[in-house]
Amino acid sequence: MDASEIEFLAEKEHVRVIPNFSQDKIYLISGDLGPFSAGLPVSIPLWLAVNLKQRQKCRILPPDWMDIDGLKDKKQEEADSRFFTDMPSPFYMEITQLLLQCATDDIPGADEVRTLIKDIWDLRLAKLRSSIDVFIKSGASHAKLNHLTLLEMNTVRQFLTKALDHMHRLKLCVSGDPAVQQ
Amino acid sequence: MLIKDFRRDFYDVLQHQRVLVLVAFDVDALCACKILQYLFQCDQVLYTIVPVDGLQELEHAFLENAEGIRHVILINCGAAVDIVEMLQPEDHVRFYICDSHRPVDVHNFYNAVQVKLLMREDELSSMPAYDDLFRDDGEDESEESDSENDDPETGYKRKRFDDESIIRRQDRRRWNESRVKTLFDYSKFTSYGTSAALMMFELAWKLSKDTNSLLWLAIVGVTDQFVHYRTPRDKYMEDIMSLQSHVSRHNQRGADDENIMSVNCLRVSFEEELYLPLYRHWKLFDSICHSMPIACKLRLWSLKGQKRLHEFLAEMGLPLTQCKQQYSAMDTAMRSEVKVKILEYMNKYGLEIQDVIIPSFTMQYGYKHLLCATDFVYAAAAALESVDRLRLPTDNFLAATEILQRCVSRKIEAGLESAKLQLRGVVNQVQSFLDMHQIISAGPFLYVCVQEGTADSRFFSHPQCLLRLARYTLQAHCSVSRNKRVRSLPLVLGAPLSIEEGRSIMVGIPPLDTDDERKNFFGKAFEQAAESTNTVVRFNSFDSHIIEMKTEDRSKFFDALISILQ
Repeated sequence: MDASEIEFLAEKEHVRVIPNFSQDKIYLISGDLGPFSAGLPVSIPLWLAVNLKQRQKCRILPPDWMDIDGLKDKKQEEADSRFFTDMPSPFYMEITQLLLQCATDDIPGADEVRTLIKDIWDLRLAKLRSSIDVFIKSGASHAKLNHLTLLEMNTVRQFLTKALDHMHRLKLCVSGDPAVQQ
Repeated sequence: MLIKDFRRDFYDVLQHQRVLVLVAFDVDALCACKILQYLFQCDQVLYTIVPVDGLQELEHAFLENAEGIRHVILINCGAAVDIVEMLQPEDHVRFYICDSHRPVDVHNFYNAVQVKLLMREDELSSMPAYDDLFRDDGEDESEESDSENDDPETGYKRKRFDDESIIRRQDRRRWNESRVKTLFDYSKFTSYGTSAALMMFELAWKLSKDTNSLLWLAIVGVTDQFVHYRTPRDKYMEDIMSLQSHVSRHNQRGADDENIMSVNCLRVSFEEELYLPLYRHWKLFDSICHSMPIACKLRLWSLKGQKRLHEFLAEMGLPLTQCKQQYSAMDTAMRSEVKVKILEYMNKYGLEIQDVIIPSFTMQYGYKHLLCATDFVYAAAAALESVDRLRLPTDNFLAATEILQRCVSRKIEAGLESAKLQLRGVVNQVQSFLDMHQIISAGPFLYVCVQEGTADSRFFSHPQCLLRLARYTLQAHCSVSRNKRVRSLPLVLGAPLSIEEGRSIMVGIPPLDTDDERKNFFGKAFEQAAESTNTVVRFNSFDSHIIEMKTEDRSKFFDALISILQ
């Protein structure tokens, strides 16, 4: 899977905006959107929110979890716990990236939010790498990780699967299995 | 015809249509074009942008691109010529002219169907009345033909000599004479109205689509008009005051702690800026030497003037070593004091507050870029008129557009560097004019020519730089000359355009006395001089006081000009 595909999936998440135009419901294959009334908040998918923002047709309200104190607590929780904690949204990284790119002026404390999310991301990736390390060294045959998001998995997916595959083949060679050619 | 409601009669008409936008080659037009482009992108209107730097290119661009287009927008070009007559469009084509050149051609104003003007109503108040210019001559002609039909045998026309037709003929002759006179009076003086960028910003504001970046573009457009001496200081102050209300509206956040803005947002703030060109990106000493008001008042061409400058700096307490290094490398304590110190000591050296301080805006984007509006204008103008001969004009246009988009900081820095070279070229040229006494007083005006083949002459083949040089020269000459009358004399400046073809470019600017109005009469004067001497003069530019001609015709032309203006 590609990071851009994951971003595409993330854009289906709903976010609240305040439009400055009025329009009736829009009927799309994936669901109904609207109706839009100027000045009243409405919940729409992220892809539409970004497009409307770029065309100056709405104001984006930051998601509930995107505030500085909440994120600070989350970061502390992540640092204290040995395992992965539950993230406020399965696509927290992508949503933050998209919103901070197009709607920086709508999100209060945008710089601080960006730094905190990056810190949480780094913590989780560090945990992931060290847990993979432990897994391989212990030679176990399976492991279970909770609360990993799709983007984090994607960073290790390709390398990890190929590396495990190679190691499996090398082990078979060492154990002298005649079924294995080389 | 003048448009009263921009939104309904201009913008709504363009929805879901294909539009052709023709843009002139100056920074104000560029800013207006970018604002319009942003609005079109918001509302998904298909557009084509073509930069044009003269009337010929305008015609050419129109012919090439006009298939299937019903709406043509002209930015900073085309108001002063009869556009329908010149381009011969089809009947369904509509022109929308947003131009700061005045006076507007009478045919453009009175054409209610095909031409719409995007201008402020109060600026067009001096337009002569419809009845003075156009008259229904149908009935007079039919009377004449009736009288001719009375003599079919004789076969030739015979004028009737009864009282009625004599009176009618006299009337018509008188009306024609008054028409010619009215037109001449109306188009005698050229001047400039509100900046095109400001008009476009007001449109965006009415559509509630104005943002900080559009506001910044409007500021740059207005500053461009001031930097190139198109509008008087009063008009500039008015525009700045109206923009200030918008600036405070967009930029009020960031003061309180709960609502901190990200550093990566554009922030615009009002400031009483020092009128030293590019001083933040240059050495303070160089910036002061190249600042026109200070250089002229202190007379920095003479040795005495240089000494006075050193005295001024010493008295302010700024050590020379600090002044001669890059501004960003100066001591922070000293940097913050520069403005205060200059204001304290300027009166002693004959400087006034309007030579030194100009109200303007600065913008900050990210940690690196603190730029003021004049920096932008200089950088973009230098990019538009780049001296690199290998680049096409459209490349220059695109480079200047990128500077205005401020995403690519490399381009801004390159633009600032070329602006510094241009400024140095201008100052060196003025110095050589004064040293070699090349400014000749030819009776009703002053006259000077840039020598061919000097290193700096390549900068002056472009009109905007040439205008700045002309103004600098006039001001310098007035400060140096002992003749009191020299302040009321206009200046005509010639520069080589291309040495191989033997062509040169001439520009005429009004005298310093009329600085409050900045009305230029050289358009008509050049026309009449060209007619009387039968010289081949190319009136290609949108400004009628900038012309091109052959170098050998120059002296003939000047003699004719002297006799006309006397």
